[in-house]
Amino acid sequence: MSTASTTRTRWRPSAGRQQHAGPLTYALLVLAALVSLFPLYWNLVAASHSGERVVEAPAPLLPGRHLFDNLAFAWNQVDMGRALVNTTVVAGLVALSTVMFSTLAGFAFAKLPFRGRNVLLALVVATMTIPPQLSVIPLYEIITDLGWVDQLQSVVLPSLVAAFGVFFMRQYLVEALPVELVEAARVDGAHSLRIVWHVVFPVARPAMAVLGMLVFVQAWNDFFWPFIALTPEGNPTLQVALAGLGSGNHSVDQAIVLTGALISTVPLLLVFALLGKHIVGGITAGAVKN
Amino acid sequence: MDLIAPNTQSIRPRWRSRLYRWDVRAAPYAFVAPFFLCFAAFGLFPLVYTGWLSLHRVELGGEAQWLGLRNYTALWDSDFFWNALGNTFTIGVISTVPQLLLALGLAHLLNYEMRGRGFLRVAVLAPYATSIAAATLVFAQLFNSDYGLINTVIGWAGFHPVDWESSKWPAQIAISVIVTWRWTGYNALIYLAAMQAVPQDLYEAAALDGASRARQFLSVTIPSIRPTILFTIVVSTIGATQLFGEPMLFGGSLGVSGGSGNQFQTLSLLMYEKGWVTGALGQASAIAWVMLLLLLSVGAVQALVVRVRHPRRRG
Amino acid sequence: MRTTGTITTRRRRLTALIALAAGTALLAGCGSGGGTGTKADGASGTVTLRIGTFGSFGYDNDTGAKLYAEYEKLHPGIKIVESNVADGQKYWDTLKLRLSRDSGLADIQAVEVGYIAEATGPALAGKWADLAKTGGADLGAFLDWKVKQATTADGKVIGLGTDIGPMAICYNKDLFAKAGLPTDRAQVGALWAGSWDKFLEAGRAYQAKAPEGTSFHDSASGLFNAVVSSEPVQYADAKGELDYRNSPGVKQAWSVATSAATGGLTAKLRQFDEKGTWNAGFKNNRFATVACPSWMTGIIKDQAGQENQGKWDIAPAPVAGNWGGSFLAVPKSGPHVKEAAELAAWLTAPAQHAKVFAVNGNIPSTKETLSSPAVRNATLPFFGDTPVGRIYSEAAAGIKAVPISRWDGQVKTFITDNGILDIEQRGTDPAQAWANVNKLIDDKIQK
Repeated sequence: MSTASTTRTRWRPSAGRQQHAGPLTYALLVLAALVSLFPLYWNLVAASHSGERVVEAPAPLLPGRHLFDNLAFAWNQVDMGRALVNTTVVAGLVALSTVMFSTLAGFAFAKLPFRGRNVLLALVVATMTIPPQLSVIPLYEIITDLGWVDQLQSVVLPSLVAAFGVFFMRQYLVEALPVELVEAARVDGAHSLRIVWHVVFPVARPAMAVLGMLVFVQAWNDFFWPFIALTPEGNPTLQVALAGLGSGNHSVDQAIVLTGALISTVPLLLVFALLGKHIVGGITAGAVKN
Repeated sequence: MDLIAPNTQSIRPRWRSRLYRWDVRAAPYAFVAPFFLCFAAFGLFPLVYTGWLSLHRVELGGEAQWLGLRNYTALWDSDFFWNALGNTFTIGVISTVPQLLLALGLAHLLNYEMRGRGFLRVAVLAPYATSIAAATLVFAQLFNSDYGLINTVIGWAGFHPVDWESSKWPAQIAISVIVTWRWTGYNALIYLAAMQAVPQDLYEAAALDGASRARQFLSVTIPSIRPTILFTIVVSTIGATQLFGEPMLFGGSLGVSGGSGNQFQTLSLLMYEKGWVTGALGQASAIAWVMLLLLLSVGAVQALVVRVRHPRRRG
Repeated sequence: MRTTGTITTRRRRLTALIALAAGTALLAGCGSGGGTGTKADGASGTVTLRIGTFGSFGYDNDTGAKLYAEYEKLHPGIKIVESNVADGQKYWDTLKLRLSRDSGLADIQAVEVGYIAEATGPALAGKWADLAKTGGADLGAFLDWKVKQATTADGKVIGLGTDIGPMAICYNKDLFAKAGLPTDRAQVGALWAGSWDKFLEAGRAYQAKAPEGTSFHDSASGLFNAVVSSEPVQYADAKGELDYRNSPGVKQAWSVATSAATGGLTAKLRQFDEKGTWNAGFKNNRFATVACPSWMTGIIKDQAGQENQGKWDIAPAPVAGNWGGSFLAVPKSGPHVKEAAELAAWLTAPAQHAKVFAVNGNIPSTKETLSSPAVRNATLPFFGDTPVGRIYSEAAAGIKAVPISRWDGQVKTFITDNGILDIEQRGTDPAQAWANVNKLIDDKIQK
């Protein structure tokens, strides 16, 4: 951690303070983790019981014996392979493009002077205020006119960039990226894309990783719009495909519903395990030499 | 990694500088263009269309009939609209404030060097990834008035059991608990990303001045991540105004009407009920526009306050 | 500008990973984009018919009556795909949007009776094929009122009846015995035959000697539904206009349900609540009776569980009524309207109704099947020797055609979920609750 010049340290992103956590910190965090994880655990428990047991009071707290029956049943009812591929495609593309475009726009709004910047930024924030429950109706008109019903682009294209992401990256970079760094690169004759690649991205990486994770999860679990744009037996994402699970005669088998939920959450946990590392480690070493 | 040979500059200085100037001027627009193109393609039409609908009496699939501003005046006269507006406000306040404070504290703790940090960071995001179905059943059980865990604990403490669904305040508190549970980790990660960009030497300097950890948190961390805090405040305010999923999930089959006495019906739920359940698309659109205008005016006030308090602060 | 060595490799690895992911995603995207040809693959000579359903219709090849496989065998050029959604409300909300744009629809769409008036109403009536003219269905085979419900103002028949929900009263024999009431189903039926007021009287008799912690009836809302569905005038006037305020049927149902609620005859539960309290009520013996449309028997069997087998019995309702049932409709804009109409006609023909009844217990809406020995003599193991088939087919015979309006479902929800439940759970005064309901309906229903 020794550094030669102070200017370099000033703008280097660091993994925070290298202070060690005390027992109280540990206790609080473990408590928070337990509260956060409990519903996931309970999802597993519920998926391992019969449908009647799940809604019976008091609720089961320990796993039962029906997990594999339920899994096999859910798996047979839904074309999981296709749904998984579709969801990965959708969530992957949406997360990737949102992170890229939001970082570019966020950088421009934070550090590049241009005419109309404040007005445009206000406009970005204003677009977030449009309530989504109603815009699906006109949005559906658009995709039917384009003939995109049941095609993946109907869920991917409208979410390629999010105002939320742009605003987030802007707020992050405004503080994290010293303007001298951008100017120094300019003096060196670097063009804008080069600056983005060599200056902005290294500084923005923790925020990009967090944004990517949040957007991926959001796109993965999105139901309201995909359920309208896609059909369960045509070209569904996971959440849409799972909409038919647990159907019964005037009642719903919650154990099967939750087995479906479990199946859709597990890949997400895998992604967490993979991406989580990038949020956590490595960032300390994110130094850029001038 | 170098893409440009060092001698290019000297060979074509004028061309370079013109290109350079063009680049400086055009790049910002190119960078913000994707967002605005996407918005123009998929966001603008819904906005305008909803505005048009709000001036009509129209049902999905049916003919539109011109009403002028009557949908808006009907809202003004409707007790249910004011009720939903009030609920949205109270639930918004009791869910957003604790949620952001908790997230800030949690992010601070997660920023310490420790074993299992990666796991803990991912764990707090788990609520955001939990399926609605699982969350619904878990919270329905926890808040069950007869045998739920929460009432059991309240019973141990010597109090009467609380009717979490049919009484107004308990129901709104229960919904706020769900909102807080779902979004605290999300905001904590956002804060955490910002905290990682706080320069190390600020802490070192503060430590040299003898500042305690708590003092460092207040005088170094918070000021350094102020833009991100503003971001979460704006996003949570918008989220609270559009609150939909959690009360819906909490109310189950009564979710859309927000309980038997509309005791937790929010603006978004009222809008959904009008637009989808009773087919009054024009009125639903009017609610959407009122929400929009409301948020914009809150935003304007917020911006004004920021400008008054930090007149020089730009960028 | 140079980056340190470790960072470069790290970033390169990350970039490569992302590029790889994006590449795979794009490839897969193209792959799945091309695979949407479920609608029109006529080139190979086969027609794929999609049928959109909610809940369980009992047609499928896994747990149902395997009707699709049978039809495909009879018609070699046809392939059938069912698209099922568990939640009926989500199903209908989406279907409305799709109908309004004539896109994303299945070739056959199931419609629940609660929405049939909306489907035949001015906004959507024009979206459906006329099944009196296409598909060759024998409309005379259906119960008259079932056909009437699916007929538009200009005389088009847009839906063919699947099942119906004739209603009886299911009661817990043990609890009846403990409260000193008869347990024999003929005697129980006689307690309240012909009048809901007698049903309330039986309730008061029960409550006088009720076993600790039990109530006579599960929910006042359930009772409201039962009473109103047995009335000749419900929410609409003879012209099919919403007129619930002047309806004697609604008045009667409101009075019965609120006197049950305020008289302490109900367990104050909400049917189908997500907390499972109502479900658990069957096992915990919280209530002695439940209004029992035919499909309710399956729920009682599941919820009461094996240990309660033989405890429940079924008696005729005071007045016959119908609660539930569905239709199959064919959107006009589909590419295979004729084939779809033929399939819908076949699926709802008496022979197929009998097969579905045998597997799923759905009470058929065709007269011939209703009176067939297979239905009339049917029993359910859970209900012992109870002549379930006879009780429900006799109830079905007593159901009359009732005018319905486009808003019936919404008004019913407001009255039960916002009016009656408010009395039961929040102790609101019935007169106040009725005023609230009126205010609510005036505000939310824009006629």
